[in-house]
Amino acid sequence: MDLQMTRQKPTKAECLRTDLIDWEIGPYHTALPGPMKLRLVLDGEIVVSGQVETGFLHRGLEKAMEGHEWSASVAYADHLDPEAAVYGELALCLAVEEIASLDVPARAISIRVILSELSRLSSHMLYLVHVARSVGADTLTHYVLRDRERVLDLFELLTGARFSLNFLRFGGVSADVTEGFIERVLEVCDLIRIRIKEYNDLLTFNNTFLKRTSRMGRVSADLIKRFGITGPNARAAGVSFDVRKAHPYLNYKSLDFRVPMGRGVDGITGDAHDRFLLRLLEMTESLEILKHISETMPSGSYLNRQILPEAGAEGYRITVPKGEAYSRVESSRGMLMCHVISDGGARPSRIQFGVPTTANLMALPELLVGVRLEDLPVLLASLDLSIAEADR
Amino acid sequence: MITLAQTLDTWKAGIGLPDGTPSWIVAAIGIFLIYVLVIFPSGAVVSYVDRKLSADFQARVGPNRAGPAGIFQPIADLLKFLQKEPARDWNWQEMLWLGVHTMALYSTVAVIPLGTYAILVNTDMSAFLPFWSALVLALGTMLMGFSQRTVSGWFGGVRLAAQALAGAFPALICVLCAGIRAGSFRWASFAAVQSASPLHWTATTNPFQFIAFIVFVASGLVIMNVPPMNGGLSETDLHGGVSMDLSGRRLSLFRLGRFYGLFLWSEISVVLFLGAWTLPQFLLDRFSESGNRALQGFAELGWLLAKTYALMVLLIWVARVNPRARVDQTTDFSWKVLSPFALGALIGAGIWAGWRAFL
Repeated sequence: MDLQMTRQKPTKAECLRTDLIDWEIGPYHTALPGPMKLRLVLDGEIVVSGQVETGFLHRGLEKAMEGHEWSASVAYADHLDPEAAVYGELALCLAVEEIASLDVPARAISIRVILSELSRLSSHMLYLVHVARSVGADTLTHYVLRDRERVLDLFELLTGARFSLNFLRFGGVSADVTEGFIERVLEVCDLIRIRIKEYNDLLTFNNTFLKRTSRMGRVSADLIKRFGITGPNARAAGVSFDVRKAHPYLNYKSLDFRVPMGRGVDGITGDAHDRFLLRLLEMTESLEILKHISETMPSGSYLNRQILPEAGAEGYRITVPKGEAYSRVESSRGMLMCHVISDGGARPSRIQFGVPTTANLMALPELLVGVRLEDLPVLLASLDLSIAEADR
Repeated sequence: MITLAQTLDTWKAGIGLPDGTPSWIVAAIGIFLIYVLVIFPSGAVVSYVDRKLSADFQARVGPNRAGPAGIFQPIADLLKFLQKEPARDWNWQEMLWLGVHTMALYSTVAVIPLGTYAILVNTDMSAFLPFWSALVLALGTMLMGFSQRTVSGWFGGVRLAAQALAGAFPALICVLCAGIRAGSFRWASFAAVQSASPLHWTATTNPFQFIAFIVFVASGLVIMNVPPMNGGLSETDLHGGVSMDLSGRRLSLFRLGRFYGLFLWSEISVVLFLGAWTLPQFLLDRFSESGNRALQGFAELGWLLAKTYALMVLLIWVARVNPRARVDQTTDFSWKVLSPFALGALIGAGIWAGWRAFL
């Protein structure tokens, strides 16, 4: 097997020979992004090989969806990835709407785009937190968490919840935007635009941080091709693929935004620093989209009630026509796919998700080779793994 | 020159012991007093200031429950640690090495200088004594990590030892630089050549001494594993390394030890490079007129501690804004950056001193 060496290993002459050490970390360890196990073989501080074991967070979400009525499936889709809940909902709703040939009102589409981009902001900010914490930069951690609260406030204002939103419905969204919401979104955008500069001053180009992240954990184009890595991790390595551009959904076709790419500003293209920088650039793009969409908010209905019961009706039973559909959205971690089969009954026949973290996890054993033990948390944090969505 | 006997006489008078008391009893009481009156309160003060300042830097509140503005937090923490049950049984090796670690650290209490009359060991080689303690400390910590029989303890121990070795070389060279100016390695002579004015501190006499000062402080961070150079105690990959398995009283002992390491280093930096405890001349005249040695001692101690705290706050500031360096980067930094600068400073300071003598 052609192993992708991420860092030049010292030759035998350069280092003391020691026996190999087996170290199994997990399922709970501060270095890990969630419950998972790593079986490492270490030569001194350098990882010789690593195996990944997941499944500790399996909740049987897809099966649970089959066991409940259609109305419950959106709430389950929330838990696919608790840190960016709206993408699971969105992928599910898009697929169901395709089966039922539902037209989604323009206002609902705009609200969905706002939620989607706010989620990208909040998820990327959490990413900054994880990377900063992994290198011991606690000051940035607290700054970003403080600002992320502002984004979560917006979720709360719109949907009543900060994490599990349960807000999207088949045919639109469950409520219209509240008074002053748009103004608050613009305010938060302005605030975060200023803060991004602060983050850059504090950490992005800090010499120690560059030494920790540049040339470390490189994701190569070959690796991306073999494992099907998508999202920011692939774009940081120079592979230009964004579902929002390649297969536009919602109204991303009419929106003007750039897809940033990693250029190896300090180091080589596709290293951990590129991934960090790319998230910051994507946040800037999200701010532009949010600003644009907030200023051009269409009026009208927010929900197409074609397959939903009348408001205030007894019970809440939905039936989706017989059919099968597949949808994909660009989540904050990559391409999130949803496959829905309906037999025309009250419950989904089959719902499957394809998540971006899986490809990253599969590539992980190759990325681990040659990494120093101290860089392990940085590598894991820089890949933005969500064990919740991988195990689902 | 004040001899040990004179120092002890001063202490005898100060504490109020009868004349016939043996010297070793006076010395033991002196060490105890330094520990209880200086080290321990310093730990409380600086840990409180550290937590409050860091909280301010990081948009947090910090301790605010125990006492007004949380000033009793260090005491509350200590009381909690003291009554905690150990998380697991210890083998005798770990107890032994924690003992070695603690003794290495606190034996330096006998050799640190705290003022004209507060030097217990004032030999020709006094300035080197704390280094041997620092190295024994690193050794003790490493062996404690080994005997814990965990991967974290093992790696934490090796990293601590590697850093201590890497940091000791430039630090010792910097002591030589300060010694060139003082003309000896007695604590008293370091104080004698400096005055209260920052213009007459060793660090500011010439550019080489300033470089030596910076290198000395930086290599202290490396030796003592102080953030941002604390790869050996890194939480993210090793769960705190050697301290992972410590809890309760042992953890408080270990933590106080780590604090004391930083305190010791800052204090020695101040003595070597930042004017030691020397007070302004008019104050010294006043004291010698009145003959009040105790008051002079307290004034000197206060002045020395104020400078030490200021330096520690500066170091905490640096630690808060910088990410943690990897351990191999730290040792690289020490061998490849600090050491050449230290050697350059030594040569420069030597030529400077020789040139001045020649003129």
